[in-house]
Amino acid sequence: MVLNPMVSNQLTDLNRQLELNKEKILAKWFEATISSYPEDTARILGKSKNRFDNPVGSATRQSLQDTFDNIMRMSLTENYKEYTNSKLSQTNKEHVDQNRVENSLDPVIRIRAVQNFSASQAVAFVFELKNIVKSVLGELSDKTFDYRVDLVALAAFNRFMKCRENIFLLKATESKRRVHSAFERAGLVTGLTEDELLGSRKS
Amino acid sequence: MSNEIKPDQLLDNIDHTPASGSWMDTPVQIRPGMYCYAAKAESVETLGFPNARPWNPMEDDWKLPENWQEIIHNGIKERLEKFRTFKVFMDICVRCGACADKCHFFLGTGDPKNMPVLRAELLRSVYRNDFTKAAQILKMIPGGEKLSGGRPMNLDVLKEWWYYFFQCTECRRCSVFCPYGIDTAEITIMAREIFNLLGLNIDWIATPVSNCYKTGNHLGIQPHAFKDMLEFFAEDIEEITGVNVEPQFNKKGADILFITPSGDVFADPGTYTCQGYLILFKYLKDKYGLDVTWSTYASEGGNFGFFTSHETMKRLNSKMYAEARRLGVKWILGGECGHMWRVIHQYMDTMNGPADFLEEPVNPITGTKFENAKSTKMVHITEFTADLIKHGKLELDKSRNANRIMTYHDSCNTSRGMGLLEEPRYVLRNVCDNFFEMPENTIREQTFCCGSGSGLNAGENMELRMAGGLPRANAVKYVHEKFGVNTLGTICAIDRAALSTLMEYWVPEVKVYGIHELVGNALILPGEKERETDLRLEPLPGMEDEDE
Repeated sequence: MVLNPMVSNQLTDLNRQLELNKEKILAKWFEATISSYPEDTARILGKSKNRFDNPVGSATRQSLQDTFDNIMRMSLTENYKEYTNSKLSQTNKEHVDQNRVENSLDPVIRIRAVQNFSASQAVAFVFELKNIVKSVLGELSDKTFDYRVDLVALAAFNRFMKCRENIFLLKATESKRRVHSAFERAGLVTGLTEDELLGSRKS
Repeated sequence: MSNEIKPDQLLDNIDHTPASGSWMDTPVQIRPGMYCYAAKAESVETLGFPNARPWNPMEDDWKLPENWQEIIHNGIKERLEKFRTFKVFMDICVRCGACADKCHFFLGTGDPKNMPVLRAELLRSVYRNDFTKAAQILKMIPGGEKLSGGRPMNLDVLKEWWYYFFQCTECRRCSVFCPYGIDTAEITIMAREIFNLLGLNIDWIATPVSNCYKTGNHLGIQPHAFKDMLEFFAEDIEEITGVNVEPQFNKKGADILFITPSGDVFADPGTYTCQGYLILFKYLKDKYGLDVTWSTYASEGGNFGFFTSHETMKRLNSKMYAEARRLGVKWILGGECGHMWRVIHQYMDTMNGPADFLEEPVNPITGTKFENAKSTKMVHITEFTADLIKHGKLELDKSRNANRIMTYHDSCNTSRGMGLLEEPRYVLRNVCDNFFEMPENTIREQTFCCGSGSGLNAGENMELRMAGGLPRANAVKYVHEKFGVNTLGTICAIDRAALSTLMEYWVPEVKVYGIHELVGNALILPGEKERETDLRLEPLPGMEDEDE
């Protein structure tokens, strides 16, 4: 789908502004994200840049940067118009965008999914971006940016759910693997095989 | 209207930092996924520990004895008198913070109470209140209690202790960075001893301990099942190699008694490492006449008593020497395990020794004296195998492991606890062609814990384990992405189980292998047929097509 020239120009302009102010926006976004931790922790997460001494801080920083790059790459289609009517149905292109965004969000969401956050707290950092961008660029003349952030938030929610499901599946399969499969191979017990159980994850 | 704050301004002004206040005033919130279930009453009873009853950490009432505060006070007092280290560690910390960001649980959970300094402070604050002169004097002036950094023991404090001392794997990484050499693991050990005075153990520790005491191993497997399992492995090996490895049990007069964690016999993927041992022993018997026996009595190398109390550790450990004496072997060989080796290396000799009825260990095939095991009389199998390889005594076909692109995880206990750093790497390099180290601040003495040690490898605390293992997984992910690493080698039974799950969450492309599984794959047994699969019954490199 081809965008109408006016929208297309607006987008290019917005992307240019985002690119120019990328460093500043990312620094604020990172700050806002790690502020969701207790103060003593946030200080340490923001300090060391070594990705092995500070895995959460580094993964968060990298993940936000990759996500931000993907936000700029987003190809908004005619749905942009629908968005003005508050509709969030997706086209194929947006679906591709969202998968890409979901992958770039994975490191930060995967971490937050096992930490002391409720589901909403775990993904709340995404919404911070709206206000951060407004505070840096001023009030935006078009609404596409808010729409993009909403897509990111939906992707974050998807990934969070996948991580949580993963955790519960690990709980279920581990106890079985731990002792049961050895007995099973020895023909001492029968039941659902490990392959069958793990196979359910693929479906 | 102009005074009205716009929504954006309001949002800009929101301070996301939680209200600051002393950590002491923040009561603990026990969160599902972060704690292990309470010990079953019958398991607590087996070893005669007090206050055996059903209880639930999520309920308000922990069903404590009426004088529980007095029991804790006396418990601390007794240990301060008995353990000089504990007394010193209570007094000398200057809170420099060097340890703060070195703990895998802090790094993974982001919870400040998992900073080793603060975790220790949970106990230290009560110590100060109850046992230091300064606190007793300061208490007399209004507000003085806070100045001393002390606080009285109450139910909130006890719950906080319980929650956080079961979020420490006693890995001792923090102690590497402490300028005073404070060993936070010892503080955790003391706290857990005190919990046992009140019947507050977790089930993942108490039930294995009870099983071990009753039937000889953590899983409670009886001798005939233990034997059946090893014989079943022998059948599998025969199918792969065409050779019957014939394990020997309880053989009097054997040269060497072999003891390994029961996880190697009953839990995947440790079972493949176990098959590696069986292949090695068969090879040594056929080539050099070395006589190695397994024991169905000393059928557990691991020792969860270590996570309960010193006395319990001693009781469970005693069967190693007892069985060696009964069978009349020359010395003991131990399998791949972590905490088992900390117990053997640092406690066994003084606890249940001297083992003067055994010989100082010498490798009869190479003549090498294992000087470090001179007193304990127990040798780690990677030292033994490394020595055999060094002297050219093993015929190895590395190509059978050609599809394994390896990295190596140092277990906390073997690396920091006994300095076993080079031998496993030496063995690895001789059985595999592709080996890449993880970054130096994550290996050897600085190794990151698997996040599931010291009895925390339960299922119900999965979030804690995944968070605690994050720094380790993060380094594995790096070598996976940079060098294409697909296999994580390790010499610890808990690691083999815990890291497999950890990898599935963080780096699912990486599988976990024991070192002797790789030895078993590479070792060419006299008279073996052409192998088509590895010990996991997966096609060997180059044999993939024939499998189809």
